[in-house]
Amino acid sequence: MNGAIGGDLLLNCTDMSVLERQRAHLKYFNPSFDSPLAGFFADSSMINGGEMDGFLATAGLNLPMIYGETTVEVDPRMSIPLETTLGTGNFKKRKFDTVTKDCNEKKKMMNREEVTEGEEEEKSKITELNNGSPKSIKKMKIKAKKEENNCSNDSSKVTKELEKTDYIHVRARRGQATDSHSIAERVRREKISERMKFLQDLVPGCDKITGKAGMLDEIINYVQSLQRQIEFLSMKLAVVNPRPDFDMDDIFAKEVVSTPMTVVPSPEMVHSGYSHEMVNSGYSNEMVNSGYVHFNPMQQVETSSDPLSCFNVRHIYSFIMFHHLI
Amino acid sequence: MERQIINKKKRVFSLEPNKNPSAVFTRKYTSHLVPALKKLNMNKNSSKQTVKHEVDMALALSAQEFAWSRFLLQKLSSSTNPTATTSSSDGIRILERSNKEGGNEEGEIEEKLMELQKLLPGGEEMNVEEMLSEIGNYIKCLELQTIALKSIVQDST
Repeated sequence: MNGAIGGDLLLNCTDMSVLERQRAHLKYFNPSFDSPLAGFFADSSMINGGEMDGFLATAGLNLPMIYGETTVEVDPRMSIPLETTLGTGNFKKRKFDTVTKDCNEKKKMMNREEVTEGEEEEKSKITELNNGSPKSIKKMKIKAKKEENNCSNDSSKVTKELEKTDYIHVRARRGQATDSHSIAERVRREKISERMKFLQDLVPGCDKITGKAGMLDEIINYVQSLQRQIEFLSMKLAVVNPRPDFDMDDIFAKEVVSTPMTVVPSPEMVHSGYSHEMVNSGYSNEMVNSGYVHFNPMQQVETSSDPLSCFNVRHIYSFIMFHHLI
Repeated sequence: MERQIINKKKRVFSLEPNKNPSAVFTRKYTSHLVPALKKLNMNKNSSKQTVKHEVDMALALSAQEFAWSRFLLQKLSSSTNPTATTSSSDGIRILERSNKEGGNEEGEIEEKLMELQKLLPGGEEMNVEEMLSEIGNYIKCLELQTIALKSIVQDST
């Protein structure tokens, strides 16, 4: 149903079945409500945007005005779920940016919703949060987009439906608190663990470690060792004069291009200093077997489509370096 | 001389030089650093501090799309003897202390996050989530910087 709504509304908001559905929803949740205007504002053609923003055109002009009034409660709420449902397909592509605490709270509350039943919640929440403060059009769009982003991202995470308060409908996971603060906290923690996972891939040797504390330790140690290495190298550089015809392009143009992922070889090489192991312990075979290994780094390595060729060059550097330095 | 000829014969350039971000960074970095070093050498007063300064400056200039590079640039321009990369001894001490307190895990993690923040230039001004993503690309840039420095030093010896 979500997809159907999204598809319909994206193109043409005069679909009566959608309006009827919205009205039915309103009537279900709010039996006293019976306005012929229900869903009226959902029609994007009615709203004169200067900006045909596609899915958020309806949000364009009406929302800021309407939010100023506390009396008209239902109609503004009607337009919002429309926008959010409209954007379902598109928002999935949007980048998930960090937001202020306000948006966070909203989002946490919206995280646990499915869009169909979430219309009412969104309405109530948005009016509640935005009540009385005139917001710019852009801001509204951004907030709605982010909310929608969350909805589409997290709708799959909903596992169990709990009984809700009659004003704010939030779906929380089984056995977890439903108040907005803990939900906000939970999403924040999820974001942090997501980033930590990414860092885990970045820092060598982190995949065996589970637990935030251990990983943070590893990361701190790694960064410190990198910084120490750089200090040491710059000390060395102070002593040495770079050659006048030094041209890094010679070295890097080829070797960096030939590998799809330069992350792989370099941490290995750098990591060897960090862990006091010789990096070529695992790779000496390749060094011997490959036909294009040279000990003089300034000499060009034979072009090759082998993605490990750059790796060989680099670990030649390390090989020489560590022999000299250690 | 012969070496130059050999190099020029075998020089290979990428068709899309700006595609690979590591290559872009490394190229920018070395293009900033090497002339700066040459200039320093001319002036005959290459103390450890000024070389460090140049190294950090090159790092900051080559990674301008990241937040930490702006902070680094600020630090460098404001002070003559910058300590942009913090000394490691403090970090180790704090780490040991936090290992000793067995109980509060949340507190430990908080401490470590703060520690990490201190390592990243400008980390203290960011919130935690932002800081974690910045640390990722900071690490990457540090790695590339290490490689570049190593090859410069290697080449010059």
